[in-house]
Amino acid sequence: MGEPLDIVILGGGTAGWMAATALVTFLPSSRCRVRLVESEEIGIVGVGEATLPQMKNFNDAIGVNEAEMMRATKGAFKLGIEFVDWGTKGSRYIHPFGAHGTADTAHVFHHRWVRALRSGWESDIQEYSFAVQAARMRRFNFPSTDQAAIESTFSYAYHFDASLYSVFLRGLAEQRGVIRTEGKVGEIVRDPQSGDVRSLTLESGESITGDLFIDCSGFRSLLLDKTLGVAWEDWSKWLPCDRAFAVPSERGEFTPFTRSTAMEAGWRWRIPLQHRTGNGYVCSSSFIKEEDAAASLLRSLDAKPLAEPRMLRFQAGRRVVSWEKNCVAIGLASGFLEPLESTSIYLIQVAVLQLLPLLPMKRIDPRLRDEFNRLIDMEYERIRDFLILHYKLNTRGDAEIWRYCAAMEVPDSLNHKIEIFRHSGIIKRYHGLFSPPSWLSVFVGQGLVPEGYSRLADTEPEDDMIAGLDALRTTIRDKVGQMPSHDDFIADYCAPESPLAAVTEEVRP
Amino acid sequence: MRPVNDVVVIGRDAPAWMAAAAIVRSLGAAGVKVRVIELPSLLKATDCYSALPALDGYHLRVGLNDRLVWTTCKAVPVAGQRFNCWGGAGAPFLHGYDREIADAPLEFTHFWTKARQDGLRSEFEAFSLAAMAARAGRVPVSQDGASLRATFGYNIDARSYAVLLRHCTLGLGIGAKEATLADVEVDGDRIAAVVLDDGERVEADLFVDASGPEGRLIGRLPGTELESWREWLPCDRVMVASARTLQPLPSFSQISAFAQGWIGLFPMQNRTSVVAVYDSRQISDQEMAQSLPSLARAPVNSEVAVSPLNQGIRRRCWVGNCVAIGEAAFSLEPLDAVQLHMTHNCISQLMALFPVEAGQFPEAQTYDDIIRCVASNLRDFQILHYKLNHRIGELFWDRCRETAVPETLQRKLDIFAARGHVPLNDFETFQTSSWASSFIGHGLMPQSFDPRLDAIEEREQIAEVHLRMKAVISQVEAFPSVEDFIAPTQQQGQARAAPLRQEQL
Repeated sequence: MGEPLDIVILGGGTAGWMAATALVTFLPSSRCRVRLVESEEIGIVGVGEATLPQMKNFNDAIGVNEAEMMRATKGAFKLGIEFVDWGTKGSRYIHPFGAHGTADTAHVFHHRWVRALRSGWESDIQEYSFAVQAARMRRFNFPSTDQAAIESTFSYAYHFDASLYSVFLRGLAEQRGVIRTEGKVGEIVRDPQSGDVRSLTLESGESITGDLFIDCSGFRSLLLDKTLGVAWEDWSKWLPCDRAFAVPSERGEFTPFTRSTAMEAGWRWRIPLQHRTGNGYVCSSSFIKEEDAAASLLRSLDAKPLAEPRMLRFQAGRRVVSWEKNCVAIGLASGFLEPLESTSIYLIQVAVLQLLPLLPMKRIDPRLRDEFNRLIDMEYERIRDFLILHYKLNTRGDAEIWRYCAAMEVPDSLNHKIEIFRHSGIIKRYHGLFSPPSWLSVFVGQGLVPEGYSRLADTEPEDDMIAGLDALRTTIRDKVGQMPSHDDFIADYCAPESPLAAVTEEVRP
Repeated sequence: MRPVNDVVVIGRDAPAWMAAAAIVRSLGAAGVKVRVIELPSLLKATDCYSALPALDGYHLRVGLNDRLVWTTCKAVPVAGQRFNCWGGAGAPFLHGYDREIADAPLEFTHFWTKARQDGLRSEFEAFSLAAMAARAGRVPVSQDGASLRATFGYNIDARSYAVLLRHCTLGLGIGAKEATLADVEVDGDRIAAVVLDDGERVEADLFVDASGPEGRLIGRLPGTELESWREWLPCDRVMVASARTLQPLPSFSQISAFAQGWIGLFPMQNRTSVVAVYDSRQISDQEMAQSLPSLARAPVNSEVAVSPLNQGIRRRCWVGNCVAIGEAAFSLEPLDAVQLHMTHNCISQLMALFPVEAGQFPEAQTYDDIIRCVASNLRDFQILHYKLNHRIGELFWDRCRETAVPETLQRKLDIFAARGHVPLNDFETFQTSSWASSFIGHGLMPQSFDPRLDAIEEREQIAEVHLRMKAVISQVEAFPSVEDFIAPTQQQGQARAAPLRQEQL
């Protein structure tokens, strides 16, 4: 097999530590040696406080105990995202981590719902989603493993403190053999012939050489952008937001969902953790002055702020390739999509998990590199289209940004998706984010109800079908009513140990 | 909004009946009425449909008892296809219909690649339950609690299958009429009506073109010309004949390459279907007919039929009120048992995309996109056999090796060669194990394996390889022979071991 690959990760933070932990967990030290360089002086962005259900798979795979991780990161459960004022002012819907309807009829469910609607039997599609109802009633329990049960029709993700998650992973990674070096990079040394990066010279003078460099330096993109000059593809004509103001507040309402509220020049997130609530305003500087945005954010808080708003600058888009020469960008160094659908950590996760099987030997195999880049491109583009959908389908008309977005030209691929859904309720399936239930909840939530529905929903008499819908609604309400509250569940499952327990711990030999 | 209620299927043979039955079974209760205009059959007594295991899904959809296929269509269950004489160091190999193990963290390919690098001598095929069942002449039926799973496809007498489907379809209350087409009245990009030979003028909300490669309806509409795949699939003729029944019956079909194409032997209960696919620029029909017995290694009866082959896809497969299914939409070779699957797949997509409004068909674009995906994936699977041949020094085969393949296939070849992974696209028919066994069978060995394998202790890796081989052997022992499967006897549970009959064909 030869010498192990020397991998140098530049930057701690969520991306750096996720990559480091996965590499040392899935690969033996005979295959690779992992070093991570980070500086405590450089803060992490850490806005990725809300995650997607795939996060649980990642944690399971690297052998993380869920309760322990949640306790360490002050985490809570998340059943979806509530969108407030998005389609129209005063509207409210949840994009759940789950289907509408029962497990076996999910593919035809929304067609039945449209048929009922057309026959005059109006009901809110959200009443047929187990996850939405649980979220609305602030309940939580683990999904049932019985595939036929309505309680199996959802999955869940986490709200957590991303910087604590990095710390948590750092503990694991160092235990498993990652060598961490504290320091700032002074110079990046390249091979004059190949252009590959050979080593990082720290300000301390230490030189760290490697075969493969993973750029987790965040927005700065020290390797891909600053060193290799990989071009950036700008998507701001579709996703015009370019600023975020983040501010934590005291703990308020403890919802098992993220809330995204549309604002005068963008949208505001609200992410409840065990000890505080994360808030932020993602907005476009073309539509609001910075100081006005910060003030607007502070006014909107439902509890006392714990700090001054912190501002981030960005542009929607991505590097045309994530892997160039012997450098792979993961996380913000590879691109940025606003956290509207909590995809930041997901994008880190797929990059890490795609890199593992394609990890090079000492010499880079261009076939593996190209494949990695293709897969990452596909992920970015699909998420991009899904995000644009939220903006495009608004009918608010009360602020310039919303009028701009409603009128903007969108990618053809997205246009066709919208038109076919409008006409027939059809949602084409593909591998990867997001699946048809997600598209459905955003289409309908934003106010786009299909004009027609599949004939497959026309096969039973109308009264029977409506009775079926009604019964399902009742079942969901009853079953959700039997779940523990999210508050109780968290207190029982992963709240910090009581002071008494801590004392007992201390006096043990 | 006026719904689509009147559907007219125009076509022939199995595809026409398959479409009509599926539409009525799925949408009859919703008020959709189907009528079949049955064009004269093009099937010959020698024709055979070689079908993938997924055909059982179609039977389930239309409520057709699978048993009937075995008892009335001279059918033989096949666990895979054996590729022979494709050249190079690679011996003949079997592409078996294994079922993927869901959620396996690492595919077996990686274990095998590593073990081979460490000196293992067993072929990849020895770890395929379906391939080993086929080699033992057995049928991989489902087994409770078994660790590996495999399944089987069908070699079906084409005429009796069409008759069976016709019978079942008419039993569903579908109107049918035998006719030929006098005229197709086109109005812009829709079909206004079809005029039959007796003068009847047929209108419909939706026409389903199941007329085969001719595309009698779709071909009349604008923008539907065929995009040829001939540069990658150079054969242009199919010759069909039959030979005597093989005894005992093998549970695999055999596909053998020869200097100007390939010849397939498809075992059936009453005969063996012999199909030659070749390049007429390299060998004339007459020469082909003469070579048939020696290539088939059996006497071939005198009835030999030749038809042209035009591999490719129509630029649009659904235009206005006319949707093309199966070979009316795209054509491939009678290889890898894809023929009925093409029709089946198109019908499934049509059911999911059934138009909601007569006169407006935005569903057409989605259908076209999906069918193009399905068809390109199948095409790539067929091309791989040609591309990876090792018949060096033969003009036809040298050219096949040298021709650049579509990007989608090149990517699979590259990533498999580099790492043993198969980058699947959306709407793939063949899953990872099918691609892997064909790549390896044709001699494309992965140069390395998934690095995550190294995290598994060496002795666990070895144990995995040994356990799998043992599981294959013991599971194969419990499978019934083909004869026992077709005509179950009391001893079915304890079927006797049949000798390997790999060399029989």
